[in-house]
Amino acid sequence: MSVIEYDVIVIGAGAAGLTAAAWLAEQQLRVALVTAGEPTACLSTGCIDVCSRSEHPLAGIAGLPDGHPFHQVSPELLSRSLDDFRQTMADMDMPYAGTLEINRRVLSAIGTFKNTCLVPATMQASPQSDAERIHLVTFTGLKDFYPGYILSRFPNASFSAYDAGVSTTMGIAANFEDGAFLETFLLWLERQKIRKDKIAFPAVLGLESAFSVSKQIESRLERPVFEIPTLPPSMPGRRLFNAMKDHLRRQGGVIYWNWPVIGVEKSGRQVEAVTTEAQGRPNSLNARAFILSTGSFVGGGLYAKRDRIVERVFDLPVFAPENRDDWFEQDYFSMNHGIGRAGIAVDDAFCPLESPWNNIFVCGSILARTETLKNGCGHGFAIATGRAAARSCLERLR
Amino acid sequence: MTFEHCIRCTICVENCPVFRVQPDFPGPKQAGPDAQRFRIGREKSIDDWVLLCSQCKRCEMACPCGVEPAQIILRVQQRYGLEHPHSPAHLLFANNYYLSALGSMTAPLANRIAASKIGKKILGQIGISTYIPFPKFSFHTLRREKKSRSRGDRKVAFFYGCFINFYRPDIGRKIIRMLQSFHIDVVLPPQVCCGLPALGNGNPALARTFAQKNVASLSNYIDAGYDIVYTCTSCGLCLLQDYQGILEIPETKKIAENCYNLHEYLLKLIAEREIHPVFREVNRSLAYHIPCHLRALKIGYPAADLMKRIPDLDFTILDDACCGLSGSYGFKKTNEATAIQLGTRAASLVRKTGAEAMVADCGSCRMQLGGLSGMDAFDPAEILCESLGIRGKKQNNA
Repeated sequence: MSVIEYDVIVIGAGAAGLTAAAWLAEQQLRVALVTAGEPTACLSTGCIDVCSRSEHPLAGIAGLPDGHPFHQVSPELLSRSLDDFRQTMADMDMPYAGTLEINRRVLSAIGTFKNTCLVPATMQASPQSDAERIHLVTFTGLKDFYPGYILSRFPNASFSAYDAGVSTTMGIAANFEDGAFLETFLLWLERQKIRKDKIAFPAVLGLESAFSVSKQIESRLERPVFEIPTLPPSMPGRRLFNAMKDHLRRQGGVIYWNWPVIGVEKSGRQVEAVTTEAQGRPNSLNARAFILSTGSFVGGGLYAKRDRIVERVFDLPVFAPENRDDWFEQDYFSMNHGIGRAGIAVDDAFCPLESPWNNIFVCGSILARTETLKNGCGHGFAIATGRAAARSCLERLR
Repeated sequence: MTFEHCIRCTICVENCPVFRVQPDFPGPKQAGPDAQRFRIGREKSIDDWVLLCSQCKRCEMACPCGVEPAQIILRVQQRYGLEHPHSPAHLLFANNYYLSALGSMTAPLANRIAASKIGKKILGQIGISTYIPFPKFSFHTLRREKKSRSRGDRKVAFFYGCFINFYRPDIGRKIIRMLQSFHIDVVLPPQVCCGLPALGNGNPALARTFAQKNVASLSNYIDAGYDIVYTCTSCGLCLLQDYQGILEIPETKKIAENCYNLHEYLLKLIAEREIHPVFREVNRSLAYHIPCHLRALKIGYPAADLMKRIPDLDFTILDDACCGLSGSYGFKKTNEATAIQLGTRAASLVRKTGAEAMVADCGSCRMQLGGLSGMDAFDPAEILCESLGIRGKKQNNA
């Protein structure tokens, strides 16, 4: 068995885990992040939802029900963690716009608006009302993106389609990384004689260089340009994930891909190591503390058996509606399914309640009562709790 | 996990290097789990695009649900190979081992022919691409090395692999000398090609023949108390994964449990305080391109952990891009465009680091990226040897 020693092991590579790991690495701790696969963050719109259910994120958080884990993060820490996030992304040439004071709207691929707090700069010009005059540029054959949805809701919108030679999100985005392709595209755009105030594109303007691509289009056509997030594969989600991952590595953190945790070694009240699957011998990762950020059901952190819900790594006690009948409402699309509140309940230090181990810290959507969809507590919640859990982990270690 | 565990999240698609640049390949999700539902009947396989998969295994590393799209596709590739006539290029590369043996025996002549215009023309005619120079055969293969034993308690049987044996035996000799300098007894067990090229070119019967020979030989050494050490990451992956998996060779669990990557092995011995290497400063700045198959081995990046101990050595880890060559994949005319596009991107990432040379564990990554970036490409073992003051007897210019 290969044994590797660290100060902290972070399990899960979503926004929460990456934030916690990078911050701890920045504090000069030896940090490793293990993950069973790539996170659901890759599938996201790349927008940072703090609390999207209200116009004002801070007021929205104050109005969350008692026991919501967001109440355990002070507004100062929330604000600092988002400032740091914006700084990091700006350093990565992927700036974000927005403020904690008020949520902004982002146009979706079906012509509706989504409330969010911070947006990638490529979505900054997204219209704030359906009265705005926008021209939509789409790509021939692009799947899951139909301008008709948006045109039906925007009286002052028009569209044209460009043949990029490929019809997949990834393929088109890869083409935009090529200067010659971009130049041909720009010349075509100029010929379209667009008169609308803003130009919209599905979010395919490059894999890494989207910000610079959108700036180039803006300067050539002399009007604001914005991206509309697409169904997965979602380029803005991937860009966010890649940037956060590179940031962690720059801070000195180590990432182990596809190392699903299969066992835990304990001694007394401490977890000493996690064992992960490998081709030959399992690996054993020793650490003084562990941060659990494996996400909820889709992320794989929680698993629903017929009668109960289990946490998959440490088998921590899971908070869930007591009655199996309360897991689901009759309405499929209801935001109030009881199972949405399931997760790990934690104390002020983000340590799991009623747990036999005292060196585990929990953050992100696996926290009980988060209700990510209902409350719009997305990446912003993950970043804030990731930072908070990391901070109390550091205090414990010192 | 089977194809039924796929939740169609498309994270694998986002990670597929081929899908990025080759529109004819539908991506790991469609080629793997999606199409698998239709392959259960006895109809002849007609989906020739499965051959476009380069088996980099990036989809498997990214999948959050443990589905193995590359494994599914590999099996379909074998079936396709059984049901359809092989192209000359497939036939030649499947028999790469015999070909290389012939090439080495006639090294000066074979090298001259492969590098000549007429030689390239012939290679082109049979569907072999020559955009980067073919590696040079070495007359003094590693297996003709005279036996020299050091007396140590640790006994290592070195699985050197075809690349080192036929093309870069100088690296093999350095590795042997390095191990001996730690008083480790090194032997070169009888061995043939690991079988991966045969699998990759749709010839499972040949792969099985190779595998059985290797297992019989290595198994004897394990019983006699030897640890198996490999250095080629693709050979390693084949020994550990494919022998147990697709090739279904009996008794291979023993092989998997006793096989170590060279650097993983050194780290293990250091951790067990059995060896105490003194690394002297190496004044270089390097870009460390992580081979896809090193990721797939799930042993972390052990060479990076070792190189971190070398004073003055500055290196950047790059693990986001596949070099595109994938062994014999990029040498086939049909894949040439894909390989060049992927290679150019990976090479530009390497150059962007500003490093003066690059380092990669895999011989074919070095061939591709060294060739396309024009930079010197080293095996990490060469850097370790430089630091430890271990020199080869003579330099090879391949």
